[in-house]
Amino acid sequence: MTYSDDRATMIEFKDVHKYYGDYHALRGINGTIKAGEFFSLLGPSGCGKTTLLRTIAGFEDISSGVIMIDGKDMAGVAANARPTNMVFQSYAIFPHMSVAENVGFGLRKDPRSKEEKARAVAEALEMVGLKGYGNRAAHALSGGQRQRVALARALILKPKVLLLDEPLSALDKKMREHMQVELIKLQRQVGITFILVTHDQEEALVMSDRIAVMFEGEIAQLADPETLYRRPATKKVADFIGTMNFVPATILSETGNAVEVDAKGLGRVMLDIDQAPAKAGESPVVGLRPETLTLLYDDQKAPERETDGVIDEVIYFGDMTYYDVYLGGTDVEVRLSMRNVPGRPVLDVGEKVRVAWSPSALVLFR
Amino acid sequence: MKAPWLRGFTLFYLLFLYSPILLLPIFAFNDSKVVSFPLSGFTTNWFVEMWADKNLRIAAKNSLIIALSVATLSTILGIFAARASVRYRFPGKAPLMGLIMLPLVLPEMIVAMSLLVVLLSIGVPLSLLTVIMGQVLICTPFAVAILTSAFQSLDRSLEEAALDLGETQWSTFRLIILPLVMPGILASFLICFTISFDEFIIANFLGSGRPILSVYIFGQFRFPSKVPSMLALGTVLVCFSIILLGFAEYMRRRGIAKAGGKDAGGFL
Repeated sequence: MTYSDDRATMIEFKDVHKYYGDYHALRGINGTIKAGEFFSLLGPSGCGKTTLLRTIAGFEDISSGVIMIDGKDMAGVAANARPTNMVFQSYAIFPHMSVAENVGFGLRKDPRSKEEKARAVAEALEMVGLKGYGNRAAHALSGGQRQRVALARALILKPKVLLLDEPLSALDKKMREHMQVELIKLQRQVGITFILVTHDQEEALVMSDRIAVMFEGEIAQLADPETLYRRPATKKVADFIGTMNFVPATILSETGNAVEVDAKGLGRVMLDIDQAPAKAGESPVVGLRPETLTLLYDDQKAPERETDGVIDEVIYFGDMTYYDVYLGGTDVEVRLSMRNVPGRPVLDVGEKVRVAWSPSALVLFR
Repeated sequence: MKAPWLRGFTLFYLLFLYSPILLLPIFAFNDSKVVSFPLSGFTTNWFVEMWADKNLRIAAKNSLIIALSVATLSTILGIFAARASVRYRFPGKAPLMGLIMLPLVLPEMIVAMSLLVVLLSIGVPLSLLTVIMGQVLICTPFAVAILTSAFQSLDRSLEEAALDLGETQWSTFRLIILPLVMPGILASFLICFTISFDEFIIANFLGSGRPILSVYIFGQFRFPSKVPSMLALGTVLVCFSIILLGFAEYMRRRGIAKAGGKDAGGFL
């Protein structure tokens, strides 16, 4: 991650609430988005991420709280006066205009000469890889091309913040992965703050400098992708991002900087305090990612800890094999993933195995 | 087709519907004052006689004035109502829209009579204006119905995109919404024009005997000698309608092609 924390603040939320009638859509949003950052709002549908994006754009009023963009309070500032531009989920390409007319639409009131505007449009089209497409009819474009036109149309105004509302969800898988990389490159090239709304955790992890995970109108965790993945703040976040095994545990003792737990099937283990985020009133469980678990072969010794297990299920993925394993003679099942490197056989259901794990890869939720 | 009688039924149905209209031009060019077979020869006299009829020209002019005004007013009102109903939520919306659409099912005779009573009791003199007012009441529901579907098929993001790119509400309406609903506006205008042009009841009640085409034609049929020239007029009106519809369909298809949409059948 190239993200550094010394950048200036671009957007600041202070206790933002939004009601639709009785429905409490945003429940006290706080946080900052830095200048030049690729920021993602991630969450399941209905979590308020799109609502939050639309309040930044000025399409929705907030019921209470403050949204500051570049140091200015946005209360009462209409969408057309904000330093933000948006790429819509449907792309919202004007169907009765050509590609160039679409891209140049925002320049209508620009005092520059016709030739200069045309050059700006051509540059914007070249930037998104649509050089020479200016005269095409907008409705004759493919999904990926529409997306690029929408990007060019928003970026030509050189906004301080570019808002992207699930821009890749309408594309097929290959195209989506391709556009993810293109968007990252584009963001680095123009240096504008990008705010992406997505329900796809993989997309958020791949693209973002920082991610705000939202559930039910609240930000559950705001962190960089690695922290989010390795140290999820709540069980819900852990469950939403990637795959996480949960093993019931009992807390034995707690000091200022360490917690000792007894995890079912794993045994007693000492955890650092930063592996045990603040209490959320849940019954304690220990979380382990599948790739932090390893099957031991033959006489291989575990670098840290190991536990016996029995294979219950084998799922073959080509490059990887996923195993569901019962831990240490208990009914606790964990999923682990092994790369199918040469010389490593794919094991069968019912085989007894030894599972290596590392205490530092555990997270405690309680 | 599975059942051959369905084809026969369809043919019979269409023949029953349209053959009487085909008789119009046949007898309009027939050299006889009596409308009956066998035909007795070709003539264009009835068209000449029709054209020479000064009252008919006045009636046609009045009808055109009324139909153009009604189509314009109904379509403008329809734009406002359809836009409000598609885009905004407000208290009492459902009953309000219901009241706007009510004349669609209300017996026109009742509407015409009650309007007449009201107008006379508050002392408004009957004129072309009162006919226009009455017909706008009848035509607006059609305009609203057509325009609502036009506004509904408009992606709301288009509007937001224009606002986002620095346009005001009004310039967004002018630059984005209006061009995209234009086919609907045109369809609404033509339908309202057609409805108004052959509307009889309100024209008769609220026109106070002023020559209006539908009322005039009805009156002329009392005189057998006038029938052939009325058939000539009918022929002209049929041709006029076909040209109008052809134009509307052409504009509609062009609108769809321009917006890149899929053609989902004509508007009639």
